[in-house]
Amino acid sequence: MRIDRTQRPWIIATVLLAVVNTIAYIVYALETPGGPRGGTAMGLAFGIVGYGMMLYAGLLGARKKVPTWRIGRAQTWMRGHLWLGLLSLLLILFHGGFAFRGPLTLVLMVLFFIVIGSGILGAAVQHYVPNLMTSQVPLETIYEEIPHVRAQLREEADQLARSICGSLDGAALEPEAATAVATLVEIEQEDRARFREVYLRKVRPYLANPEAAGGELADARRAGELFQSLRCLLAAPVHSVLNDLENLCDEERQLSRQIHIYHWLHGWLLVHVPLSIALLVLGGVHAVMALRY
Amino acid sequence: MIDLTIDGMHVSVPDGTSVFDAARMHGIPIPTLCHQQNETPVGVCRVCVVDVGGRVLTASCVRPAENNMVVSTNSDKVVRARRTLVELLMADHPSPCARQRQSNDCELETLARAEGVTQPRFPRRLSPRGQDNSSLVIAVDHEACILCDRCIRGCDEIRHNDVLGRRGKGFMAGIAFDYNLPMGNSSCVSCGECMVSCPTGALTNKSVVKTVLPGEPVDVEELQALTYFQKVSGTFLELNKNAVVRRHYRKGDIVCREGEYGSTAFYIIEGQAEVFLSTPMAHAKTDSRSGGFLGKLTSRLMGRQQERRSEEEQRASIPIDAPVDLPYDHPVATLGPGDLFGEMTCMSLYPRSATVRAATDCVMFEMLRNVLDIIQRNKTLKAQLDANYRKRALDDHLRSVPMFASLSQEFIEELRDKVELVRYTKGDVICRQGDIADSFYLIRLGFVKVSEPHPGGELVLAYLGRGGYFGEIGLLGEGRRTATCAALDHVELVRIHAEEFHQMVAQFPVIRRSLETAVHERQEQNRQRLETATSTPLDAFLTQGLMEAQSLLVMDLERCTRCDACVRACADAHDGVTRLIREGQRFDKYLVATSCRHCRDPLCMVGCPVGSIRRRNSLEVIIENWCIGCGLCAKNCPYGNINMHPFTVMEDDPMSAGRQMAVIKQKATSCDLCTDLAEPSCVYACPHDAAHRVEPNEFFRWVGTPLAGESRRA
Amino acid sequence: MAGRTRTTKKLAQRINLNYFKTLHGIPRWRRILSAVFTLAGLAWLGWYAVAGSAKPYNAGPLAHSHALLGHKCGACHVSQASYRQSATDQACLACHDGPIHHANQVFTPSCTNCHVEHQGSLRLASTADSGCTQCHANLKTREGQTKFVTDISSFDGNHPEFAALRPGQSDPGTIKFNHKVHLKKDLRGPNGTVQLKCADCHRPPGSNESWPFGTTGAVVAPASFTPIDRSYMEPVDYQKHCSACHTLQFDRRFSESVPHKEPKVVYDFVVAKLTAYIAEHPNEIPLVDEPDRRLPTRPPQRPARNAAEWVQQRLGDAQLLLWQKACKECHSLTYPNGPDALPVVAKAEITARWLPHASFDHEAHQMVSCASCHAKANNSQETADVLVPGIQNCRQCHRSGADAAEARCFECHTYHDWSKGKLVVGKFTVSQLAN
Repeated sequence: MRIDRTQRPWIIATVLLAVVNTIAYIVYALETPGGPRGGTAMGLAFGIVGYGMMLYAGLLGARKKVPTWRIGRAQTWMRGHLWLGLLSLLLILFHGGFAFRGPLTLVLMVLFFIVIGSGILGAAVQHYVPNLMTSQVPLETIYEEIPHVRAQLREEADQLARSICGSLDGAALEPEAATAVATLVEIEQEDRARFREVYLRKVRPYLANPEAAGGELADARRAGELFQSLRCLLAAPVHSVLNDLENLCDEERQLSRQIHIYHWLHGWLLVHVPLSIALLVLGGVHAVMALRY
Repeated sequence: MIDLTIDGMHVSVPDGTSVFDAARMHGIPIPTLCHQQNETPVGVCRVCVVDVGGRVLTASCVRPAENNMVVSTNSDKVVRARRTLVELLMADHPSPCARQRQSNDCELETLARAEGVTQPRFPRRLSPRGQDNSSLVIAVDHEACILCDRCIRGCDEIRHNDVLGRRGKGFMAGIAFDYNLPMGNSSCVSCGECMVSCPTGALTNKSVVKTVLPGEPVDVEELQALTYFQKVSGTFLELNKNAVVRRHYRKGDIVCREGEYGSTAFYIIEGQAEVFLSTPMAHAKTDSRSGGFLGKLTSRLMGRQQERRSEEEQRASIPIDAPVDLPYDHPVATLGPGDLFGEMTCMSLYPRSATVRAATDCVMFEMLRNVLDIIQRNKTLKAQLDANYRKRALDDHLRSVPMFASLSQEFIEELRDKVELVRYTKGDVICRQGDIADSFYLIRLGFVKVSEPHPGGELVLAYLGRGGYFGEIGLLGEGRRTATCAALDHVELVRIHAEEFHQMVAQFPVIRRSLETAVHERQEQNRQRLETATSTPLDAFLTQGLMEAQSLLVMDLERCTRCDACVRACADAHDGVTRLIREGQRFDKYLVATSCRHCRDPLCMVGCPVGSIRRRNSLEVIIENWCIGCGLCAKNCPYGNINMHPFTVMEDDPMSAGRQMAVIKQKATSCDLCTDLAEPSCVYACPHDAAHRVEPNEFFRWVGTPLAGESRRA
Repeated sequence: MAGRTRTTKKLAQRINLNYFKTLHGIPRWRRILSAVFTLAGLAWLGWYAVAGSAKPYNAGPLAHSHALLGHKCGACHVSQASYRQSATDQACLACHDGPIHHANQVFTPSCTNCHVEHQGSLRLASTADSGCTQCHANLKTREGQTKFVTDISSFDGNHPEFAALRPGQSDPGTIKFNHKVHLKKDLRGPNGTVQLKCADCHRPPGSNESWPFGTTGAVVAPASFTPIDRSYMEPVDYQKHCSACHTLQFDRRFSESVPHKEPKVVYDFVVAKLTAYIAEHPNEIPLVDEPDRRLPTRPPQRPARNAAEWVQQRLGDAQLLLWQKACKECHSLTYPNGPDALPVVAKAEITARWLPHASFDHEAHQMVSCASCHAKANNSQETADVLVPGIQNCRQCHRSGADAAEARCFECHTYHDWSKGKLVVGKFTVSQLAN
């Protein structure tokens, strides 16, 4: 979600509501004997409205589970989540009168701050990081399918390699008949062997485990050097195959980059979502118990 | 008897014998190229020249022997002349030519070796003469042709097909089929005689490599005993021995299954076979009945009774690749001896359009494309097939045309005999926009593309398959064609001439009114299509083929958080099978997602064996109830936008009678823009306003400025 | 050899169509952690629930005086009809009494309205002003008009001037006193000039220093460690504060003063004294006295013929001296029964408490010099002057804000009308409270 001028109506409404509520709070705080606290009528009102907003914010997750129900566009819910969630912070602070006494309420307040903080962080992340992903990973694919795609890339790489040096595990160094170029061109057997060695020792392990540390091919510059040396080694007609391989390795690097950025894009949710659910549940307990006592 | 001396030998031969024959009769070989024993000698190649003491050397194949002739067949002069001749011919010959490569017996090259001609002194001709690969059975290489005319004589004299002839003059001379048509488009009946006669590799056999049909090979003699193989060259049949086999089926055997891919056609010799569709007559429907506010959307199969969709075809019969069509309500029919089925599969490699099961013990011929091509050109078989068609299928086809639906049987009888059955091959233009309209066409076999020229390309209005029809305007005898119709593959049409039609209309005036209604409707449809089609192609789109699209699902990658809410929503709306994939190529900062683009030229529609995928007047693709799930449309779609959706259906268990078992049937599905709901589910469910369904032109104008805030609601 | 091409179809075909149906990585952990945290929270609460303790729901530390109650929630949070267990007035009244403020008040706030618990270790009685201003900012009564100011919201805001100092108010006391004269530098005292100080007459009770201008005996020191309320000054008394200078001699023959009592007692005393004297000195019967210099206009005296007449004459002089001069110097005398009868002395009407609706504690202000607040006294010449300082004087220290003396209502006023307090009969045992 980008925070741009389409959010303006929401921002204006939120600011207005915040101002109105602040005025109401100031008046209430001054007039209530005993000071502003959750137990007074006004405090209770703040608490109910604040909790209502928190519940609405929490229901966003549920909304996403039933995307086709026509109960308001996902966009509207998302914006509501963002702005009403922020407003709820204010209202809950008003509800408690800016005091954090009591074990349960203290825990709730801490959770609340973490949730709101992580939410704001998340909003910032989702504002800036998609740009990063788009510009840094032109060959992006679907994150969940990266292992699957990588398997396909490995196959493709093996095939490309076989077209130069034949079978990768056996002793045969004759390239397969289906790829015509290599048959027509004379490549020294030992060059083929050298290539096979490089492929088996450097390229294949990298493709099998691109995230491993210290991989030569994980660095674009060193990969470029490696392939350049291969191009010098082997005759010109197979350069297109080498280019394809290099291309493939570049795609692998981009996928690694994608994974990294994806973790940034979604990692904050690991804090935000579980704590918010705990917050809502405990908040409900608090509401029941506080009204009881 | 005539007495003459050949190479010092005295010989006596009957009157009228040619010098060549005289020499041959007495064991003196004279090399020839254009002379073949079973053909009238023409003396064009001059290789057989001999010295008879005249001013010039004479061609022995045409010179009749005369009394007291002294013939020298191998004097220096003769040898020199012969050698020079061969050298000249070899200069333009693409050695090794196809025949030399195939069977090592190109007569010219053999002669050249015998004469000691290795490297001609003369340079090769610069302008190429070309090749012609249009025939399914014979490859034509004009480069290797020595203009010996053996093929022409073979076609004319031996086979009496009169297809081949000479064209051009002098340097530009060559052989031609009909009026210099490509061989495959000509009236050539693929008998193979020309190929057999050709001394070089100019006409060679196209072998169907590596296809071995299971079954019993059929003897050439047996084949030739059949009427429609009678005029086919024995040599040719011998060469293509494996291309036709005899198959035996016991009662209950499945001959072929709907949706399977194949490359053969079947001809029933004995027995009866049942042809039917085993797919449920239903379409995949996103059911929002139980939905509304809180319900879950599911996909189910719905038949016509449960749900009638707008612009659904209300046809009573389903066109299949057989001599008969299947009625919609009970799609079963019977085929008997003399019926040929599977033509489209064989000729154009489409999937099988129906399931065929032997109702009694059967004997059939299964044949490959080249053999089918031969027998289709056989006039006897053609007549038989046409008669069959007229008797069994033409009725239904005619009735399926709405304006003929209510015709009386009498009218149909009259019409039936007056129609012409015509054939077109791939690429032929049947009628062009602007031509005077003079006939109405009904499609018996194959696919026809109906299109209109458009700036930047053409706009395809429809792909019509078997049972489709076009050209109603022609029947009114007025006006010009509003669109161009071209054959996409091997097409056979039923043609009704306007004049004939008018005669009948005079007898049955009620037709005129329904005609006018039909014509008016068609014009209205065209107008609507034109309105929805965009007019300005934009360069940047062309590389990705985005201009083909009329509606694109784009995702703004700067807002998209890759959360998959859109995909989940699509799957949710369609019973767990998503019709959208969040992968594809990028355009600027947008990802063009893999989801139906409602192309202007909908390639998915080409080749549907049962003609069940077509386009409504609005943009969306509609897949009719009789989709057999073969997946051809999915294969054809260049963007991978069509997915096959499996449904579980209860069917009779073939193993144990009376019991039912669950079988997975597939139906093709593609993005239907969620027309039952106000807004596409994917756009509705995106929390970040990143997914939009856009119209390409408008979209392109917006690229560079943010789309957000102008939500593209449908 | 075709290069690697990317087409939409190739890309789409790489993807397994059901990839989104199972959760991997971050979404999976999201779900796991959600369950873990929620269950941990509930387990924490459940632990206490099982132990029967409501500790997690404690809204904050208790006030200092209730510290003993600690975690005995049931002491105040008593079970009620529905599931509610709030702290009602009934719970407070088990230990405390809280009589209402005024019979005419429109509503009676609950105890917790002003006395908010769970706010930490503070003094519960130190209520916020809003407890008072909820009525007094816009005072309404149940019946009739109120005579109090109806709009008071804070001390240094719109708290009215003290009633005693409002226009038209004056000291109702009848004892004529001129502070300015008494405080002047060279006041004629019994032994030369004296300079009086405030503390020579005005002191809080329990002082063990002698009065410089009194004639009482030794000062009675208060008992050790006895709490003495030093809020208000001891009332001014003739014996303690005036008698040293303002003697009540009535005749030249006697140095003693008449007793400082009602006129009848004084009359009888004088008669007795004179009678006793002439009885002892009968030869002075016929002597004539010069008029006292304080009575120059006394008509000449005839020599007395007998003792009785002699007493009568001297009695008349004494009465003149006393009623017209000595007593009259301070008191107001009236003659309701005629000029020859004994006068009636007006009641002193010395005001003991100038601010009846507020409590003022001189001891809390003992560091301040008298004149700093009671500046008016130095220049007061009229008895009617009200010498109590006005609200402005108090506001110099008692104002809102930091670095100021307490200015909240409770500092001077109380809500509970303790005159109507009921006895609290204790019914708790020590073990109940202590365990």
